[in-house]
Amino acid sequence: MGETKNEYRLLLPLLPFLAIVPFLASQPDSNSTDFAWLIVVVPFIMFPIILITGQVYNKNETWKSTWKEGGILGLAALLVSLSTTIWIIYDYLIGNADIEHNDVTSWLEWISFDVLQSDYTIAQNRILGVGVWIDSLTLMLLFVATFLCFLICWFAIGYMTTDPINEDSNHRFFAEFVLFSLGMFGMVLADNFLWLFIFWEVMGLCSYLLIGFYYWKESAAYAAKKAFLTTRVGDVFLMVGLLILYDIYGSLDFAVVFDDPSTGIGGVAVESGELFWALMMLFIGAVGKSAQFPLHVWLPDAMEGPTPVSALIHAATMVNAGLYLVARLMPFVDIHHQGVAGLEDFGLIVAWIGGITAFMAASIAFVQNDIKKVLAYSTMSQLAYIFTGLGSALYFLNTPGEFNHHAGLFVLGASLFHLFNHAMAKGMLFMASGSVIHEIHHAHDHLHHGSDHGDHDFDPQDMRNMGGLASKMPVTSTAMMFGSMSIIGIPLIGGFWSKEGIIAETWAAYFHGETMILGPAILILVTAGMTGFYMSRMWFMTFAGQPKSDVVDHVHETTPWIKEPLFILTLITAIGGFALATLGIVDFLSNESHHLSLHGHSLIEQIQHELEHAFLPEDQKLRMVGWTTILLSFVIGPIMAARIHGGQLKDGQRANIFVGWLVKLSGKFGTQDVTWLAESQLAEALDKRLYFDDLYEGIIARTVIPFAEFSAWFDKNVIDGIIKQIESNSVLGSVQIRKVTTGNARDYILMATVGALCIFALLMGVNI
Amino acid sequence: MIDPSWISGLGVILFGIGLLGAFTRKNAIIVLMCIEVMLNAANLNFVAGASHYGDVDGWVFTAIAIAIAAAEVAIGLAILLSLYSTQETISLDEASILRN
Repeated sequence: MGETKNEYRLLLPLLPFLAIVPFLASQPDSNSTDFAWLIVVVPFIMFPIILITGQVYNKNETWKSTWKEGGILGLAALLVSLSTTIWIIYDYLIGNADIEHNDVTSWLEWISFDVLQSDYTIAQNRILGVGVWIDSLTLMLLFVATFLCFLICWFAIGYMTTDPINEDSNHRFFAEFVLFSLGMFGMVLADNFLWLFIFWEVMGLCSYLLIGFYYWKESAAYAAKKAFLTTRVGDVFLMVGLLILYDIYGSLDFAVVFDDPSTGIGGVAVESGELFWALMMLFIGAVGKSAQFPLHVWLPDAMEGPTPVSALIHAATMVNAGLYLVARLMPFVDIHHQGVAGLEDFGLIVAWIGGITAFMAASIAFVQNDIKKVLAYSTMSQLAYIFTGLGSALYFLNTPGEFNHHAGLFVLGASLFHLFNHAMAKGMLFMASGSVIHEIHHAHDHLHHGSDHGDHDFDPQDMRNMGGLASKMPVTSTAMMFGSMSIIGIPLIGGFWSKEGIIAETWAAYFHGETMILGPAILILVTAGMTGFYMSRMWFMTFAGQPKSDVVDHVHETTPWIKEPLFILTLITAIGGFALATLGIVDFLSNESHHLSLHGHSLIEQIQHELEHAFLPEDQKLRMVGWTTILLSFVIGPIMAARIHGGQLKDGQRANIFVGWLVKLSGKFGTQDVTWLAESQLAEALDKRLYFDDLYEGIIARTVIPFAEFSAWFDKNVIDGIIKQIESNSVLGSVQIRKVTTGNARDYILMATVGALCIFALLMGVNI
Repeated sequence: MIDPSWISGLGVILFGIGLLGAFTRKNAIIVLMCIEVMLNAANLNFVAGASHYGDVDGWVFTAIAIAIAAAEVAIGLAILLSLYSTQETISLDEASILRN
């Protein structure tokens, strides 16, 4: 701490990297899509550079203070990715490149091979190419990934390099960070399912490495293993799904598969039963990656990693991968564009999984006291919203009728828009929580310095040690307020525009006669109110009320590099949702329109249209649903949280105007004692995460571990036993044979000569 | 021009001398020399054949065989030196540790 020098001079090395893309763009005839490989390749080159330089210059003063142990290099690589992405998006939005006609660019044929088919004929010249597939979904996710990775890397430079626990190992962090980022970029850009899977696994590996960054901590090592193995369960299913797809279509290229999903290889009509299982397997893979019920157990434990990693995994990259995969499956079911009919059940299953996870995660978030764990469960819950939305989209697109088609496209767009809003808000919330944890930790060290760092039981992530931070951390508290509002869906802010769409359209599916979707519809409606409660609870516990420990008074928001990403994301969260909704992003994301524009209306008209659409839909029933959502999430949830945890700041402390009103307001609702509830069986069950971890561990202890022990016994006694028997027998045999040797060189020569003569004689005999 | 069968006969005699020496002598260096004699008997046959058929292959074989023989001698002498430094003898009768 105590950095007084201007840290921004360290950004100077970034300038040449910033110049690369404008230089390429200024060349005549340069097409942005042709340079899309830069997005993946530049980080891929930078990854070993950071790792090796970090090893060589470890402990070097310049390497630490000027290059931030590789952070600046990582930032430079991500800057190239980000600027290339912005160039591509710009080209598509102004119409230089057309999504309809220029969505595939195949650069090179990677492997070309022949295949022996099941009827013993040979299919010639199957090709695995390397290329990119660009449509509005790719563009949106690419922007989310590159933009957030860049900001989180920026944040990490401040967060990681000022933490003494990371001494001299940050190059490892930044190298893995860059590799992780490129995994996401590559997965989004991939133009076939195989490459998608490869980059998917790159992310899986890096999540293992990053969650276990503090590998000497037993809990971190355990969490890393758990995350890796749980997602592995999903990945095995994903692989099976890909094989079934390959069996149906004879290719994994998007271009081939999506060209006409109703016709398989050799012009055979695709059976919905077989495709259903392929899609289910892919969906299970997505469930594992996006931490949905029942493969959700890894995500809360993944909070053992450093906070930037939490932001990276839970906002920008990994959890979005599963959503991306499910959204990619839309052409299979879209019966208005040659999709395969009869797959409504798939959509309903997706929606049910989403609804269950949303409700379950939100209820567990009620009792969490660790600030990052609240956010982790909130992530699960919000991702589940998106899954529910995608599930209704899958359902709608698979049912005939003009209305269903439009509703399907709308809810698809709304779900993807929610992905965008959630990624931005959650990335910021994690960084803000990182900022809180970091400063509390420093304040604690500062306060108890000299007394052997005070008690080691102090947990800087526990919200019961916070309270009243609003006046101490103005930027962080403002950022966290807007982020929470976006997640809750406070009208006009961020996530409101998308969440409203998901809930309304899921109910619309029920109103149009699908009774099976009533369950998810009710669950996500209730969860909207629960979200309002637990997000407000987190904010009030952290920032409002009286300080709950002596550490709070010593907190200062001084660490460099941390505030800028928060500031940028606060702006985007606060007004981005509204602005993009006005520009028609929902139609853009569902591929209905190919540009973000006002569609010929004036700005005022368009805003009026969006507001009417959100608050006063024509359908009476949907209007009821919409206002119930607003009532639950905006009024009931936050007020209940304020009654329990809200309160004025300590005398003499003042918060800035953005959050001051909220703190004041939170003290006005009186207080409520909920000790009886907190000590109930229900709270106990929620605190134990509804016993899912215990259940899984119990199952594993009864099945996998005995099997593993049996395997170990088999390996040791049977397999090793055979080999050892062979070994000891040959030793015995050679001892016996050795007795007949003389050891005399001349005898050996004699034997060789006799042998040669025998061979000679045999040969001559044959010839004669 | 000498009849190649005479040269082959000389080769057989040389080979026999070499073989006999390798069987009967105790001194390892002499055994090594005997092996060289056998090798050169074979070379002689090559050269004889080459000049008889007017084919260059025989000479090429001979050149390679001589090079290999030189390398072999170098290794053989190194083994003998090492044998002497450990056993203090180069008598083949006494160097029979392979037996146990």
